Amino acid sequence: MQEFIAILKNEIIKTIRRPRSFIGFAVISFICLMLQFAFLHDGKEILAFVTQQLEGLFDMQGKLVNGNLICFIVLQTLIVQMPLLVALVTGDLVSGETSSGTIRFLLTRPASRTKIVIAKWLAGIFYTVLLLIVLGVFALLVSHMMFGNGDLMAMNSEGMAIIRADDIVWRWACAFGIAFLALSVVASLATMLSCMMDNSITPIVSVMAIIIVFTIIGMFDIPSFDLIKPFLFTTHMISWRSLFEDPIPTGNIIFSCVVLFAHIILFIGVSVFIFNRKDITT
Amino acid sequence: MKKIILGIAICLSQFASFAGNEAQGLISQVNKKFSSVADYTAQVNMKFDVPGVKMNQMRGKVFFKKPNKFRIKAKGIFFLPKQNPIQNIAALLLDTTSYTSVISGYEAMDGKQCAIVNIIPLKSDGELILGKFWIDKSEVLVLKSQITTKGNGTIETRNIYGIKRKYALPDQIVLNFEMKKIKMPKMMSVDLNKKSKAKSDEDKKESGSITLNFSDYQVNSKFSDEVFTETE
Repeated sequence: MQEFIAILKNEIIKTIRRPRSFIGFAVISFICLMLQFAFLHDGKEILAFVTQQLEGLFDMQGKLVNGNLICFIVLQTLIVQMPLLVALVTGDLVSGETSSGTIRFLLTRPASRTKIVIAKWLAGIFYTVLLLIVLGVFALLVSHMMFGNGDLMAMNSEGMAIIRADDIVWRWACAFGIAFLALSVVASLATMLSCMMDNSITPIVSVMAIIIVFTIIGMFDIPSFDLIKPFLFTTHMISWRSLFEDPIPTGNIIFSCVVLFAHIILFIGVSVFIFNRKDITT
Repeated sequence: MKKIILGIAICLSQFASFAGNEAQGLISQVNKKFSSVADYTAQVNMKFDVPGVKMNQMRGKVFFKKPNKFRIKAKGIFFLPKQNPIQNIAALLLDTTSYTSVISGYEAMDGKQCAIVNIIPLKSDGELILGKFWIDKSEVLVLKSQITTKGNGTIETRNIYGIKRKYALPDQIVLNFEMKKIKMPKMMSVDLNKKSKAKSDEDKKESGSITLNFSDYQVNSKFSDEVFTETE
């Protein structure tokens, strides 16, 4: 166990120290700050896109632009980019070392291959957690500091739900939990492809391609796609948004979490299987 | 024959004059009730049924001052119709020079005989097109109103009175309206997996309502005007 912890520690340090890891933090903080300043200056105009239909009939009273709304918009915006940032780092956890040849030195350690690949995967998960913490700090805390607290006007295709400020903290906690599960699927998929391939770029590009293809399948209203949609992990990656509906579709959220968790188990299982049988020829 | 037609015309004009006089009489009695209230505050519980908007009920405090200063202070987001009937009915009826009134019929409502008073603005450049008021003749209370404006269509109001009926202050107001269900731009909703709806469904008008339950009325307490201007 001590040996596993030592490998894990080493893998986490390697992952964090790589320059590309900081791209993710920089992108998240930049996008958050950019959107926050845009809303600080033109919040009401931007929001008018949505509220103009209601403003003809109603006087909308209360603080519409607030920290919770900004966080919701930031999260919606970043949900498309975050998997790519995760893949950028986790996609070459194994293949990067395979292509550079350092995997040979790693495998000379007495630890089993299973432990090594699990340690690498956990390092990827750790990086995902760090990304989410950065997102949480910028999207939630900084937004609250800039705009204050207030009721959330959560927009969805059916309309909107007004979530009261005193009923929102637990929803954010669960939303970040589901976002973590969703990004962990991406990290696991990237680790699996990284075990399959011998160069560092191909797994990253493959993960991005898979996400794009699955997302496009999810977007089209084609009956033949309806059969496979529930089983695509991209369908469930945005299920955190369901926490901001009224009533909350608990069954759907649980199903999404189960599907995402099943994907993680599948991908990491395949990763271990492939890595244990992998010929190191480089 | 000429005499018969002349007779009918005289009868009709007399009837119209009588209906107009009765309407004015009722309105002046309603205005008298309204005039006894210089200001009021009350606790309010708001329930919303707005098409396309899910919103829990919430509590707040209502402030009203003559002639039409009105505010609901509440912690959070809420909607009220733009041509707010609570604010506008008293102000609208008070300005008797701006409209002509006529009784268009009688109807029983909540077991009470009501006169239906129509109010037609004298100038066509205003926002109001038609005001229709169901006035309980025995207690001189507006039980129902329909206000049709150029911008917001028709908003119907039902008033239920309780202990403050002598001031014509209702315990419950139900605002009914019709609106198109709001359409959310996909850019804002980011609901990539949701199926798009048929256009005919989207354009269909749906009815909604806002129910306001009032309690703890404080009438003529002479509170400061700052409450209408202060920000949260």
